[in-house]
Amino acid sequence: MNLSLELLAAAGDVKGGEAATFWILAPIAVLGALGMVWARNAVHSALFLVISMLCLGVFYVLQAGPFIGMVQIIVYTGAIMMLFLFVLMLVGRDSSDSLIETLRGQRMVAILLGVGLSLLMGIALYRALGDSDPKGLTEANAAGNVTGLARLIFTKYVYVFEVTSALLITAAVGAMILAHIQKSPEEKISQPERMLKRFLPGNYPAPKPGPGVFSTSDSVATPARLPDGTPSDRSISKILPTRELTSADVAPKGTEK
Amino acid sequence: MILAENLDQFGKDPWWLVLAKVVVIFAFLVVMTLFAIWYERKVVARMQVRPGPNRNGPFGLLQSLADGLKLAFKEDIMPRLADKVVFFFAPVISTICAFTAFSVIPFGPTVSIFGTHSPLQLTDIPVAVLLVLACSSMGIYGVVLGGWASGSTYPLLGGLRSSAQMISYEVAMGLSIVSVFLVSGTMSTSQIVEGQAGNGTVNIGGWHADLPAWYGILLIPSFLIYFTAAVGETNRAPFDLPEAESELVGGFHTEYSSLKFALFFLAEYVNMVTVSGLCTTLFLGGWRAPWPISLWDGANQGWWPVLWFTIKVLLLLFVFVWLRGTLPRLRYDQFMRFGWKVLIPANLIWILSLAGILLTINSDSLSGPGKFGVSVAIIVAALALGFVAIAMSRRNVTVVEIPKAHPGGRVGGSKGFPLPPMNLEVPPSPRAKLVIAEREPVSTGKEKA
Amino acid sequence: MNDKLQLPNLDYAALSPMLILFGVACIGVLVEGFVPRRIRHGVQLSLSLLGLVAALVMVIRQGSKDDVVTAQTAVAIDGPGLFLSAAIIVLGIVSLLLIGERSLETGGAFVAQAAVTANTDADRDQAARTTGATEVFPLTMFALAGMLLFCTANDLLVMFVALEVFSLPLYLLCALARRRRLLSQEAALKYFLLGSFASAFFLFGIALIYGYAGQVDFKAIDTAIQNSANDDILLYVGLAMLAIGLLFKAAAVPFHVWTPDVYQGAPTPVTALMAACTKVAAFGGLLRLVYVGFHRTEWELQQVLGTVAVITMLVGAILAVTQTDIKRLLAYSSIANAGYLLLGVLSVSERGLSSSMFYLVAYGFTVLAAFAVVTLVRDADGEATHLSRWAGLGRRSPLYASLFTFILLAFAGLPLTSGFTAKFGIFAAAIDAGQTWLVIAGVVSSAILAFPYLRVVVMMWLSEPGETTPAVSIPGAMTAAALVIGTVATLVLGVAPSVLIEATEHAGIFVSK
Repeated sequence: MNLSLELLAAAGDVKGGEAATFWILAPIAVLGALGMVWARNAVHSALFLVISMLCLGVFYVLQAGPFIGMVQIIVYTGAIMMLFLFVLMLVGRDSSDSLIETLRGQRMVAILLGVGLSLLMGIALYRALGDSDPKGLTEANAAGNVTGLARLIFTKYVYVFEVTSALLITAAVGAMILAHIQKSPEEKISQPERMLKRFLPGNYPAPKPGPGVFSTSDSVATPARLPDGTPSDRSISKILPTRELTSADVAPKGTEK
Repeated sequence: MILAENLDQFGKDPWWLVLAKVVVIFAFLVVMTLFAIWYERKVVARMQVRPGPNRNGPFGLLQSLADGLKLAFKEDIMPRLADKVVFFFAPVISTICAFTAFSVIPFGPTVSIFGTHSPLQLTDIPVAVLLVLACSSMGIYGVVLGGWASGSTYPLLGGLRSSAQMISYEVAMGLSIVSVFLVSGTMSTSQIVEGQAGNGTVNIGGWHADLPAWYGILLIPSFLIYFTAAVGETNRAPFDLPEAESELVGGFHTEYSSLKFALFFLAEYVNMVTVSGLCTTLFLGGWRAPWPISLWDGANQGWWPVLWFTIKVLLLLFVFVWLRGTLPRLRYDQFMRFGWKVLIPANLIWILSLAGILLTINSDSLSGPGKFGVSVAIIVAALALGFVAIAMSRRNVTVVEIPKAHPGGRVGGSKGFPLPPMNLEVPPSPRAKLVIAEREPVSTGKEKA
Repeated sequence: MNDKLQLPNLDYAALSPMLILFGVACIGVLVEGFVPRRIRHGVQLSLSLLGLVAALVMVIRQGSKDDVVTAQTAVAIDGPGLFLSAAIIVLGIVSLLLIGERSLETGGAFVAQAAVTANTDADRDQAARTTGATEVFPLTMFALAGMLLFCTANDLLVMFVALEVFSLPLYLLCALARRRRLLSQEAALKYFLLGSFASAFFLFGIALIYGYAGQVDFKAIDTAIQNSANDDILLYVGLAMLAIGLLFKAAAVPFHVWTPDVYQGAPTPVTALMAACTKVAAFGGLLRLVYVGFHRTEWELQQVLGTVAVITMLVGAILAVTQTDIKRLLAYSSIANAGYLLLGVLSVSERGLSSSMFYLVAYGFTVLAAFAVVTLVRDADGEATHLSRWAGLGRRSPLYASLFTFILLAFAGLPLTSGFTAKFGIFAAAIDAGQTWLVIAGVVSSAILAFPYLRVVVMMWLSEPGETTPAVSIPGAMTAAALVIGTVATLVLGVAPSVLIEATEHAGIFVSK
């Protein structure tokens, strides 16, 4: 409830509520980051990252940057991670990371070096910043956080701000180049043509029979039987390898009793 | 036009008042949900010329309560292939986000509650509208994760659809709010309502115009786009593709049952109330009384505004139901095309021209007629741009030639399959001799007697 | 709150080279949308060339004016900045000639639709029939514009944005090879992943420097180093991270691992662009960073960067010896050259600056000519880059073999080539600055590096052409032009380097405002 006041006053010193929020969320953020690395399932990894980024968003708000905090949540957790999830769902829910190391011992070395670097950085930053007070927040937020930000973007960094549009255009063009396949007009089949083709002699216009229909087994590799009893090849997916069915496969299932 | 950021009145409540406000908002939303379900069923029923629920309570008002209680006592099924933890948390995420968003919606002005002066709003922050957007973007996780964690095909498809849908429509929604920020100069909800208080008079070239106070009238393109996007954002018909029951059984919540399903249901309706509340706040003057009532001095004081706010929200809910009762569901590709190729470009053009107009009005160098001329020129240019865009998109439509009828109406000779007619008119059957069945009279057993 | 924002004063004349390139790139994107496919290539190529020439004219016009710091300390258009801009534009024109070449292979060096799965029927079909994607032109323009901004950025934040602006198109361009597409895609992905990792380090470095100085523009950092009360740890950790980001782009050891893979996988014209222009941009940025922002930490810099320079020179030279692919060989040679350039950076003197700039230009022309030859040696499967295929090339086509020999000798640093003058200048500047140990390492590594070059020369001339020795294609006009420009520049800068040396000295020093 004191949030808004603190934001407006651009709290210079750390207050009780702020400290409490930090100490509750900071471990969660770290656990989220660790979970992201450790989780086998890609979707779980993404979710841990979402937790971490949400905590970061709250930290920004705590540190008198409400705008950047909200944008962090909307853009990063709301849009970008959602796109990640979208792709992961397309990949399939059971795909997990392979545990085979292409470089032997690489994982161990990476962990050691990573821990070493973070210890080094952590200690260095703690020694450098451990006893310094935050300052300048009040001046930066004097006219309100959003206004202060706008002021910087449209004065000092206006040129860079405009240049970032080049980055966005490049990204859009790049996405088109790498992902878009342009079909020539000849390749497009119109509905009447498609329909004519479907009804030509030699083609069976009705839907394919489902696999296993009228068959003696549940296996998708078992062809369906047409009403006259002959097996229909049309019922089996082309990508399935043809195989000899064992007697166990052929035996009717679930109907023993 | 730009208001001073003045949120001093917030953040001074004693703890009991904060608690009370939280509880009241929670209760308001739950009651609104129960009411909205009844309301929707009743309105749709009226549109379809049938009575609707009328058994439990007066006018069937207790129907949703009964449904809710029944739902809570149903068996809770956890599919074997489900990702248990995520499956459990998905509805929780949805519900929490839906409720949180309402904390910044203003219900009314400052009133005295047991001797404490406090605004009828849980809290407000300088970026309150963004908080609502953030909550709605987090709420999508519930839908997407619910679909993913169910371990079943239809929910997965529903989740996929919903993630793509939300991203697309959130862009349109965010952009439509930008124009409100432009005009009001703030992102805090209470000040946006304040900004719609009076009738601003603008002097354009000796021509006095009373600017309507509601942004919904002043910024009507934004209002329309916002509402369209809001329908998409809340998964309501005709944009209810994540749960399209005719295609995906139940979509993302196919595998859900009992309380978890109830939570999803609750979240959907709370979301509806939230977007309506935000729509009221941003575009329809918030808790301020509409015109004829506003002539009465006391209309915008004390507790009355809560009533106006609730009425406006209910009217918007009515539109949601109306849409559901009227429009068929869009095909998925049409829906995405509409979002990306219509709503977003239109929005961008509108924002650009609005910014131009605002700049013109606020400029020091232009005189009155000049301002008016430039503004009109900007609007004309924007419209022209829109028409060019429409014309360009029409250019590539190729007219498909319908093949001539085959002899005998069949492909591949007289033994071939009959070709369905292209104009979708059912031709008269060649065997069309109307045969009227001559049935023997039903034996009644009396003949013999 | 109610006082109006004052827009900063933008000196459009000074910014015009960048603006022209950005504008041309945007028009190029529109051309993709509206111009018929048949004439798109011609339109794009002439548009891009025109834009580059116009930008060059604007750079030269600006050269006679005073130094400008515009857009509120964001961009510094000063002597060295203009010189580096001009260098990037000129080298860019030459690489654009290679990129636009379509006579060597039907449809040019680029794939028509990168989204088609590699090695499928559709892919083989499009490799044989369709013309390459013309989006490469706007992408190249974006990259070059970003490079100009990178060399003239007066602020770490601007520098970061510029870094991204010129990196992203390069990642994309790497993935667009017509032949050996999987290799090309792998190269692009590696470059992208490692590149974003390096960018993250750079950004973290900016944050720490901001914590130290409270500002991110170079002048303020310089002032802060003199009298900041903050702990120096922030400064050094931040500087180290900035250095990681920049040394990655410059391909210095140990941040070089991407270079051979990317140089090999990318389409050869793009490799040429990266070897010539990216190197200028990366070192331009590094020079400004060290000379303007951090020259007061000279002593610490020289310890760390000096070690990096020595390792870079030696690792580049030694690994070049073991290479069997001409593009990888050139990649390792470019790594070693990054080491020599670091010597110039470390001198932190006017002479060091001018010799580094001379080296960048000289090396850029030579490496463009080298890759132009690489595009010519080809068989039915595209370019024949394996060194064994080059055996006996001297008998088959003495002209191109002699050109390539000359280029390799220039790389090795023999007198009468630009390589000699450039190295001499750098070493002299380093000795002036008291960096004798670096110069000793440089001379040793040059000696080692001469071996792989001479091995190629020996292979070309002294072995018999085999069955598999490919023919050298007749270059189209544009490749021929690029080859001639590169070779002539290498020769002229070796024989009469005074013109360019004067220009580098005339460029003066970085402005510090």
